[in-house]
Amino acid sequence: MCDFSGKLIAWLDHELTEDEAYEVDRHVKSCAECRSQVQAYQNATNTFDAYCEALFQPKAHHEFPRWLPLVVGAATAAALGLLLAFLPGPVEKLPLKPPALMASPPIVSRAAIAPNKRNQRRRGVTPMLKTVRGREGDENWMAAEPAIQIAIPGDAMFPPGALPEGVSFVAELSVAADGSPERIHLQQ
Amino acid sequence: MSSNSLPLALPLSRLATGDCEATKLYRDLRKPLLRYLVCLGLSMDEAQDVVQDAFLGLHRHLAAGGSQENIRGWLFRVAHNHARNRQNSYARRFGEPLDGEFESVLDEATPERIVLEKEKFRRMAKAISCLTECERESLLLRAGGLRYREIGEVLDIPTSTVADTVERAIKKLAEKCNV
Repeated sequence: MCDFSGKLIAWLDHELTEDEAYEVDRHVKSCAECRSQVQAYQNATNTFDAYCEALFQPKAHHEFPRWLPLVVGAATAAALGLLLAFLPGPVEKLPLKPPALMASPPIVSRAAIAPNKRNQRRRGVTPMLKTVRGREGDENWMAAEPAIQIAIPGDAMFPPGALPEGVSFVAELSVAADGSPERIHLQQ
Repeated sequence: MSSNSLPLALPLSRLATGDCEATKLYRDLRKPLLRYLVCLGLSMDEAQDVVQDAFLGLHRHLAAGGSQENIRGWLFRVAHNHARNRQNSYARRFGEPLDGEFESVLDEATPERIVLEKEKFRRMAKAISCLTECERESLLLRAGGLRYREIGEVLDIPTSTVADTVERAIKKLAEKCNV
């Protein structure tokens, strides 16, 4: 065993004094055994450092997994798709119905020229005032589309028992620009 | 030993007031501290908590007019003590084989190289398990770039003992790993 073998690791770590380091440095150049040992210590040190790094790196990578951007992108796309699919369209606003009119038949309803077929199908329910605007935001609807629907219960026009209970009629009245009636259409 | 050793005394005149020196110190020492703590057996979350606590403690230490000498050794000592306080996870994992996790480090390596590296690390893990706790900690701190004097301060042992411990540990590893 060489006399310098006990100083080789400290020499590798630069922990010797300047004079000691100079002596070891000179010796190692001329001693094959010490050079071999130095090589083995360096290899052990390098492997130990690499082992520590390998132990550390996977955990460090776990902070931001590789699949994270993919998942975040897919989730964002799905959220946008759902948002667009279920986004509500323009809402048709109905004017408030006067309570006084709702109580007394026959009830006058203002509607577009086309008859409100949904109301026609609803048999046996209390006639209601229904006002439908032809276009959203058309405040002067009366002058543009002068049509009035009048819902009339059947028992108000015929003797009791002449018609099945709950039957009603809709009288559609078109009004001219000067206010005079142009056309009256009665339908069940 | 790592060559990126920092000076023992850093110019930290404005660290306590949150100037850029604190940012530089954090940037330089965060990873070595994390690696040391993870290799001791802490999880990454635990290690990050400990590092944060250590830097918070350093801020308080300097704000209270504490010594600015050997800040790196001071931080490692505080982190070491915090890790010691987490006895449940301390030394839980270091020395265990890496198994599948190692493959993620060598993604672009050939299968032959992966096999060789795995075998080398398997032998290293076995050799590390034969080291004493003091030897393991000394080597870990040495791998973190600390000088023998700093390692002695962290582990509270004389510098000469550190030199002997490191030498003994390296010789064991070299012998058992046959590298």
